[in-house]
Parts: sequence; structure tokens; C-alpha cells
Amino acid sequence: MLSPGKLFVFLNKISKSIKVILIPLLIVSLIFSLFISPLDYIQGDTVRIMYVHVPSSWIALACFSFIGFFTILNFLFKYKNAFVIYKSLAPIGFSFCLISIVTGSIWGQPTWGTFWAWDARLTSMLILLFFYILFIFSYKYIQDLNTSSKICSIISVLGLINLIIIKYSVDIWSTLHQPSSVNVFGKTSIHNSMLLPLSLMLLVFLVYCALIFLMKYRSEIIRMKRKGLKRL
Amino acid sequence: MNLNIFIMGGYGLYVWSAFLFAFLVCLILFLKTRKSLLKLEKDYKEEVKKLSAEQVETLSKAKISRDILTSQSKVK
Repeated sequence: MLSPGKLFVFLNKISKSIKVILIPLLIVSLIFSLFISPLDYIQGDTVRIMYVHVPSSWIALACFSFIGFFTILNFLFKYKNAFVIYKSLAPIGFSFCLISIVTGSIWGQPTWGTFWAWDARLTSMLILLFFYILFIFSYKYIQDLNTSSKICSIISVLGLINLIIIKYSVDIWSTLHQPSSVNVFGKTSIHNSMLLPLSLMLLVFLVYCALIFLMKYRSEIIRMKRKGLKRL
Repeated sequence: MNLNIFIMGGYGLYVWSAFLFAFLVCLILFLKTRKSLLKLEKDYKEEVKKLSAEQVETLSKAKISRDILTSQSKVK
């Protein structure tokens, strides 16, 4: 596996390209999702909220999956880069989980007639937000690395179980939230005219995540290097 | 000017507020991360200034340290 040093120099090089493509890509995606994409025949213009809500939810779930993987990797094999990676991913996942819940709530008012319902999908997403908060607090405020690593592992394992609940909540329980319309391995029930802006917004968010991840990763490495300076 | 683009059939408030909230959160995260990164780079450079010439030479052999020190000079 790559050492933090090699990864640091490599990631710094790609962060420059990311900054160049982010703004034009954002403008194109916004034009598609706010103006060009068609209205939904039932929901009308409110369907446009989907273009921020759905990619945010996917990113929040994906970030926690990666966090779970790297926390377990760190706990079992003491892979030093894992600690830096999951610390860089957690604030990104938290932000997107918050975006997902708030935009979902805004979408809920005109669609369901309420901002919030204690429905299985909504509640399990709220639990994920709490897992993110607990996780961030654990590595931030627990000074002992071993204890912090153990607590982070426990939180991430519980969080991974919650991810499965989130995924299947709409199938197991009768919920207000609709089942998924986009399936990687199954049939996608969303029209291409809506799938294109959705994919573009996902790409914008992913590029943005990559930029934040690189900045966070760089910060963590500098923190480690500062500790090393004292030993010189 | 076609105001319906902004009114969105009466749902404009919901759509625009959802987009604004998303981009506000992204902007705050970006600015917070950038501020903390620049501060760390600045502090690192200040700590390097306190080292002896020999220690600085040893340090500049490492790729990461060289990269941090040069990026800080670009920021200023």
C-alpha cells in the first residue's frame, strides 16, 4: 500500500486539476438541474430537489462505508494511513448527511404535507447523522490513540449495520419515502432526461468531496509532521 | 424576464432553499477546511524557522516537508 508521504505528494498534484474543473462543472450541472430538466408529472418543480438530495444521500452512505472499512483496517492491521483517511472522510460524510436530511425535509413539505415523519428511512438517516457526530467526537476528544481507535471501530461497526437498515428500510417497512429509482445492478425507473442532471450533480459533489478530502488529508499529514519536528 | 423560472409553479421557495442550503453547507466546509489548512502550513513554516540550518537541511530532503514549505510561500 502507498505510504502517507507518497500519497501526499501525488494527491497534491491532482488537487490543482480538481480546482480547475469544479466551477465549470457546477455551472453546467445547475443549468441542467434547475432549468433544462423536465418537470415531474405529479410533483412538478419540486422534483428538482432530488438533484441535491439523492447525490448527498449516496455520498453520506458511501463515506460511512469507507470510514467503516478504514476503521476496521486500522483496528486490525494498524495501517497508519487508515487513521488519516477516516479522519479526512468523516466531516465530508457528516456534511452530506446533514444536506440529505434537510433537503429531504424541505422536499417532504410539498410532497407529503409535512417536514418530518418518524418513518424508517428518515429515522435511520437521522441515526446515521448521530453516528457521524459520535465518530467525529471520538477521534477529536479522546487523546489516547488506542482507546480512540477502539471506540471509532465500535461506532463504525454499528454504523455499518445502520447502513444496511437504511438501504432496506423502504422494502421492509411501509414508509412515506419512495423505494429507490436508480439501481446499479437492477432496472432504473428514472427517465434519461432526469438521470443526466442527477449524474452531473453527483459528479460535482464527488469532485467537491475529492477537493475537501485532499485538503483534510494534507492538514492531517502536516499535523503529523509538526509532531515529528519536535523530535528533530 | 420569465419569472416562472424562479417561482417554479409556486414551489420556488422549496427548490431554491434546498439548493441554497446544500451550497451553503459546502461553502462553509470548504472555507473552514481551507482556513485550518493555511493556518497549519503557516505554523509549520514558523516552527521550521526556529530550527538550526543542519536540521532544516535534513528536513528539506523529505518530499512532504519540501512540498509544505514551497506551498506556504505560494500562499503568501
